[in-house]
Amino acid sequence: MSLISGPDTASRSSVPGRRVVLAPGVRYGLSRLLAAAGTFIFVILFNFFLFRLLPGDPISLYTRGRDVDPEIKRQLQARFNAPIGEQFLAYIKNPFVPELPSQRFSAPVWDVIGPRIWPTLLLVGTATVLATVFGVWLGIRSAWKRGQRFDKIATTVTLVLYSMPEFWFGMILLIVFSVGVFGIPGIFPVGGLSTPGVNIGTLAGMADVAWHLALPIFTLTVIYLAEYSLVMRASLIDEMGADYLRTARAKGLREADVRRRHAVPNALLPTTTLIFLNLGFVVGGAITIEYVFSVAGLGSLTVLALRGPDIPLLQTLFLLFSAAVIVANLVADLLYARLDPRVRT
Amino acid sequence: MAYRPARLVAVILFVLGLLLPAGVPAGAEPAPDKSVFTVGVTQDVDSLNPFVGVTAAAYEIFQMVYPTLTEYGAKDFSIQPGLAESWTESPDKTFWTYKIRPGLKWSDGVPLTAKDAAYTFDRIINGTFEKVNYGNYVGNITKAEAPDDTTLILRVDKPSPIMEKLAVYILPEHIYSTIDETAIQSFKDEPTDGKPIVGAGPYLTAERQVGQFTRMVANPNFYRGKPAVDEVVFKFYANPDALGQALRKGEIDYADSLESNVFDSLADVPNIKRLSAVYSGFNELAFNTGAATIDNKPIGDGNPLLKDKRLREAIGWAIDRKALVEKVLGGHGSVGSTLIPPMYADWHLAPPNEVSYDPDKARSLLDAAGYPLGPNGIRQDATGAPLKFRLFGRSDKAASKKAVEFIKNYLADIGVETTVTLIAEDALTEKIGQGEYDMFEWGWVVEPDPGYQLSTFTCDKRSYEDGGSIVANLSDSFYCNPEYDALFTAQSTETNPAKRIEIVKQMQQILYDDWPYAITYYYDNLVAYRSDRFEGFVPQPAPDGSYLFQYGTWTYENLKPVQAADSGQAGSGPSPAMIGGIVAAVAVLGGLTLLLLRRRRTAGADDRE
Repeated sequence: MSLISGPDTASRSSVPGRRVVLAPGVRYGLSRLLAAAGTFIFVILFNFFLFRLLPGDPISLYTRGRDVDPEIKRQLQARFNAPIGEQFLAYIKNPFVPELPSQRFSAPVWDVIGPRIWPTLLLVGTATVLATVFGVWLGIRSAWKRGQRFDKIATTVTLVLYSMPEFWFGMILLIVFSVGVFGIPGIFPVGGLSTPGVNIGTLAGMADVAWHLALPIFTLTVIYLAEYSLVMRASLIDEMGADYLRTARAKGLREADVRRRHAVPNALLPTTTLIFLNLGFVVGGAITIEYVFSVAGLGSLTVLALRGPDIPLLQTLFLLFSAAVIVANLVADLLYARLDPRVRT
Repeated sequence: MAYRPARLVAVILFVLGLLLPAGVPAGAEPAPDKSVFTVGVTQDVDSLNPFVGVTAAAYEIFQMVYPTLTEYGAKDFSIQPGLAESWTESPDKTFWTYKIRPGLKWSDGVPLTAKDAAYTFDRIINGTFEKVNYGNYVGNITKAEAPDDTTLILRVDKPSPIMEKLAVYILPEHIYSTIDETAIQSFKDEPTDGKPIVGAGPYLTAERQVGQFTRMVANPNFYRGKPAVDEVVFKFYANPDALGQALRKGEIDYADSLESNVFDSLADVPNIKRLSAVYSGFNELAFNTGAATIDNKPIGDGNPLLKDKRLREAIGWAIDRKALVEKVLGGHGSVGSTLIPPMYADWHLAPPNEVSYDPDKARSLLDAAGYPLGPNGIRQDATGAPLKFRLFGRSDKAASKKAVEFIKNYLADIGVETTVTLIAEDALTEKIGQGEYDMFEWGWVVEPDPGYQLSTFTCDKRSYEDGGSIVANLSDSFYCNPEYDALFTAQSTETNPAKRIEIVKQMQQILYDDWPYAITYYYDNLVAYRSDRFEGFVPQPAPDGSYLFQYGTWTYENLKPVQAADSGQAGSGPSPAMIGGIVAAVAVLGGLTLLLLRRRRTAGADDRE
C-alpha cells in the first residue's frame, strides 16, 4: 500500500538522459501556483472594470437630502469621476488599498473592512468547521449503514434542513430560542455580537461573544451539514464495492478498520475539494444569516457597498473575496496532490 | 458497538464541562444600580464625525454630544435658547449677536466659551470639506468673532432667517484645533482610550462597535443638569422583525422606525406601548415637467406631454390618496396635499382648493384639455400621440412597490397608460438627474426650517453641465417658475417670522396649483416602547410626535427609570457570561467527544495492521 505514498517519487524523476529539472511533485506545485497567480492577475484587472459598469451616481446618493454647495459637489465629482485611464493607473498602483476612501462611510476602506472581518470569520469559519466535522462523520456513518434506519433518518433530516430557506429557519430559531415560546426560555440574544459595556478582551467578554454567536453558528452549521454528509456518503458508497476493501477484509481487518484506514481516505477526495472550496468563501460571509441575527460581517457590508455603489469599498471587498477563494483552491490543489498522487503526473 | 463505554465517558465529560465554566466568568457584569436605556434602531451610524455623518442615527448622536446656539422646542418647534441665552439682529442687519451662557464647561472640565463657537463657525466658513454638511447654514456668514467669553458675533452679507436656527454643532476648540483639514476627513470622533469623547450635550459617546451599538454615558457637566438615566445605548438590528422581537423580550426599551406589520404584531403585548407618531416625511408622485439644465438646455427623454399642467392636475384628481394611506401605510399616515407637512403647523398650508379622489372630474379635465379617448381606451393628444408614460418605483422599498401599482391602476382608470419599472434608489437618482423619466414615486423628509425643501423647486437647483457631463442637483421635477424663484429669494432674506410664513404659504400654493408633484401622503413614524422600564417621554411636536430622533434631546433629558419595576435587564434571563460559558463548553466538548470516540476506536485496532 505504501508504494505510492509521496516523498519517494522525487528519486524516480532523475532518470538519466532526460532533461528533467524538477520533480513532478514540485512541477505540479509550481504549475498550480502559476495558475493561481494568473487567475489573480485576471481578477485584479477584471475587478477594476466590473464595478464601473454598475449603474448609479455615488455623489448624488451621497449628497441627496443635503444642500451641498455646487462647487463642493464639483470637487467631489472630480475626485470620484476622474478619467478612466487615470483611475486605472491609480488603481493598479496598489489594488488592495484604494487611494479614495469609502464613499458611504467617508473613511479609509480598510478602516471599514477591518472591524467586520473577525465577526465573519468567527461566524462562518466556525460554522464551516463544525459542519465539516459533523457532516463528514454523518456521511461516513450513513454510507456504512446504507439503507438502515440511521442512514434513512440522517439523510432525510439533513436534506430537509438543507432545503429550508436560511432566512426562515434562522427566524424560527430566533423566535424560539431568543424570545422564547411555549415555555421555552429565550436564553440567547436577539442580535449583535456582544453586550454593550462588556470588554470582549476578557474571558467573560469572549464568553459573551460566544453566547451571542451561538444561534447564528448553529443555524449555519445545520444548513451547511447536508452538503458534506451527502457528498461524503455518496463517495464512500462508491468505494464500498472496491476490491481493495475485500483484500483488507481478507487480511482479517475489522470492519471499523477497513472503513477508517482504507475506505474513508479514498472517499475523502471529493469532500476535500468541497471543504476547501467552501473555506474560500468563508470571508464572503453569510448575507442572510448576518441579516437575521444582525451580525456586522462582510456579507452585510457588501450589500451596503453595492448601494451607491461605493466603488472603492466594493472593489476591495471583491478582491479580498477572490483572493480567499484562489488561495483556498490553491491549498486544495496542493493538498489533493498529497492525498491522490495520480494528479501529480 | 465496541465503543459504547467511550461514548459514556465522553457524555460524562461533556456534562461536567457544562457545569465547570458556568461558575467561572461573572466579574464583567455591569453595576446593578446603573440605569441603561436601550434603543433599537434599524439604521447604523455611518460616522460619528460631525463633518462626515449624514444618517439620522448619526445626527441623533451629534445633538446629544454637541450643543447648538439655539434649539427647537419640544411642543411646537418654536425657537428656544440653547448655548445662547439670547440673540439679536443688528439694526442694519449686517450681524447677529449671541449671548453665550456664562460659566459653561466641556465634559473634560475645560471652559466652554464663545471662542469655541467662533472657532467652529470660522472653521466651516474657511473650510472645504467642513462645508459639505453645514454649507447651507453658513452660506451668508462672512465672519465669526468672539470679543469676550460670552459674546459671539456672526457677520452676514445679507439678512437671513436661518440665523435664529443654526443647526451647527459647536465643537471643542481644544480638541478640534489639533485635527487639520486632511486629518478631519478620516477622523472618527470615537473614544480611543476607553474614556468618553469630549462634548457638552446631555450624553457623551463612550463606546462604538461598528454595526452593533453605540453606548452613550450621561454628561455630569451638561448645562441643564446631568440626565437621570446613566447610559443610553443605540443597538443596531439589521432585521426589522428581530427589532420587534427584541422589544418583546426586553432586550431593548424602545424600538424606532418599525415596519407596520411588526408594529401591528406588538398590539396588546403587556408592558409595551405603541405610538404612531406624526412625522415630517411625505411621499409624492413626481413629474418630469420638462427636464433642462440651469442654462435651459433640454436634457433627457421625458415625455413632453407632461409639460402640460392640465394633464398633471387631472392625474392629481385620479389618485385615491385615502386608499393609499390605508393599503400602503396600513393606515399609519394621512392624506397628502402641500409640501410642508402638517406636523409643522405654523408653516403648513392647508390648500383651500384641495383635490379629492374624483376620477370623473379627472376625465372631464382631460376631455377639456384636448386629450380624447383613443380607439384602444388610451387617451391621445391632438396629434394622436397616446398618453403613455414610464413610471418608476423603488425596488428597495416595499411601500413604493405597492404605491406604483395602485397609481398605475388609478391612471389606467382615466385612460392614461403607464409602464411601471422598479429600480434601485441609486439607479433612479441617476435617471432623475439626467431627466430620463416621466414619473416616479419617492419622498422627502422636511426640516423644521422650510428653506431647504422649497429650494428643491427653484430653477437654480436643476441639473447642471460640468465638463461635458450632466450633474444632478436637488431638483427632481425640473420645475422652473420665475414667480416662485422671486418668492424664494424674498423668504430667504425675510427675518420677520410672520411675514416669512406668509411667503412660504404662497409658495406652497403655487406648487399645489402647478403640480410638479402630486403629494400622496404624509407617513407616520411607528415606534413602540416598554412602559414598565422608563417614563418621562417627551413628544415633539405635542401631543402625537415622536419621542426620540427629534430636533433636540428633550426625551433624553427628561427620562427616568420607573421606580417600582425590578431592575430591568438583569432579570431577563441567565447572565450572558454564564450562557456564553455554556455555549463555549458545548462547542469545545462537542469536538472533543468526537475526537475521543475516534481515538478510542483507533487504539483498539492499531496493532492489527
